[in-house]
Amino acid sequence: MRPLKALFKKQFKDTIKNPAILIQFIIFPIIAFVIDHLVTNMYGITEEALANMPNQVTMQAGIFAGMGLIMVPMGIIAEDMDKKSLRFLSMAGVRPMSYLMGVNGVMLAAALCTAIAFTLIGGFSGTDFWIFLAAMMSGSIASIILGSTFGLLAGNQQSASALAFPAAIVIGFGPMMAQFNDDIARVMHVVYTQHFNVIAEYLNFGISDAPLWHSFAIMWANTAVLLILFALAYRSKGIA
Amino acid sequence: MTSVSMKDVQKSFGKNHVLRGITFDTKVGEIFGLLGPSGSGKTTIINILTKQFGVDSGECFVSVGSNEIGLMLEHDGLFSRLSCADNLHVFREIYGIPKKRVEEVLESVGLSNATKTSADKLSKGMRQRLVIARAILHHPKILFLDEPTSALDPVTARGIYKLIMELREKGSTIFLTTHNMEEATNLCDRVVMLHDGKIIEQGNPKEICTRYNAIKTIHDLESVFIQLTGGGLK
Repeated sequence: MRPLKALFKKQFKDTIKNPAILIQFIIFPIIAFVIDHLVTNMYGITEEALANMPNQVTMQAGIFAGMGLIMVPMGIIAEDMDKKSLRFLSMAGVRPMSYLMGVNGVMLAAALCTAIAFTLIGGFSGTDFWIFLAAMMSGSIASIILGSTFGLLAGNQQSASALAFPAAIVIGFGPMMAQFNDDIARVMHVVYTQHFNVIAEYLNFGISDAPLWHSFAIMWANTAVLLILFALAYRSKGIA
Repeated sequence: MTSVSMKDVQKSFGKNHVLRGITFDTKVGEIFGLLGPSGSGKTTIINILTKQFGVDSGECFVSVGSNEIGLMLEHDGLFSRLSCADNLHVFREIYGIPKKRVEEVLESVGLSNATKTSADKLSKGMRQRLVIARAILHHPKILFLDEPTSALDPVTARGIYKLIMELREKGSTIFLTTHNMEEATNLCDRVVMLHDGKIIEQGNPKEICTRYNAIKTIHDLESVFIQLTGGGLK
């Protein structure tokens, strides 16, 4: 427990002092708020046109959970490996799992704060509030595990970015591309960000082709698969 | 009592034979120096002893567990955005030692007026001292110091020598690597001289100097090294 607590505190202090990481948790709700405000107050816009426009809050939330949260843990783990900080932690008796839980615990807590900011901006209340929060956290967990896997595999910051950025683009923007291409849509049908979008559409327009639990089940199945991939990367590459 | 030992250790990286039959042992409470030019295998020996690398053949022994070892390696591994005190608090909490120890140790390395300065704003010498503070935070029984005074000014280096001597007096075994022969002569109880991954001489530095008639105005290990290898150090 001691190492976990120490690493949680370390990561919290480090995140507060790291603008490159901190901005990821702040910028997406701000963008959502600004665009939402601009669109709502656009001169001459009708109620009907407004209702048919994509919801900026759920769109930005999807990009944050599907893309931003892949890059963040990847950057942190790769930096600690690159600077050999992990070697000193491991010599002090810190188990790799404690390190990963300490670091990712902070990311998850920060993601929860961002998710709450999104729900407030989006005006979700009652059951919708909890559905949106559950969808955001399910997507966030999957992305954090994927980002950690990239961080482990790369071992240094440069390779980590080269590895994770294209994947984050595909996963984050995949649902948008799926709207224009059936082949992409078929592939995206098994990816968690697509199902975050399905849930978001239900919250925005009250329509869904399948029951919501179906989308949640696919998101959690993704998390399980990503956990297995993470365990394989962890076994093959180690951490220090 | 033996603190650290190696017996006929061989290590290669691909076709590059880095260590060829390394055998030595260090006693508890002594300052033991590994001397040699860059690429002679000093850092590889530390990496093997701290279990970062395995060996191809041979045996190595370290008498204590990894959490009783203090480390100062080639890369400082500091959390650059955290303050000096916070860098130490991370490890203090991991080891489960009292908070006041952080203040004590920062004072002992002369960083008590930089406790709130973030590590990336420290000079090279101050970073080096912070790394030493982290290494001694938990009263380690064995301290591995890889080139502890490289790139330091003479005044800071002297402060670090003083600290090393104090640690030895408290019973820690100090295992250091250096290519500074004067440093080795003044600090070490025993040294091993490495060249091309092989031990070319070992013993008390002053005795080695005497053996090779190398005493001029000071005990001159560097001239012994040149006699043995026909080459300089750097």
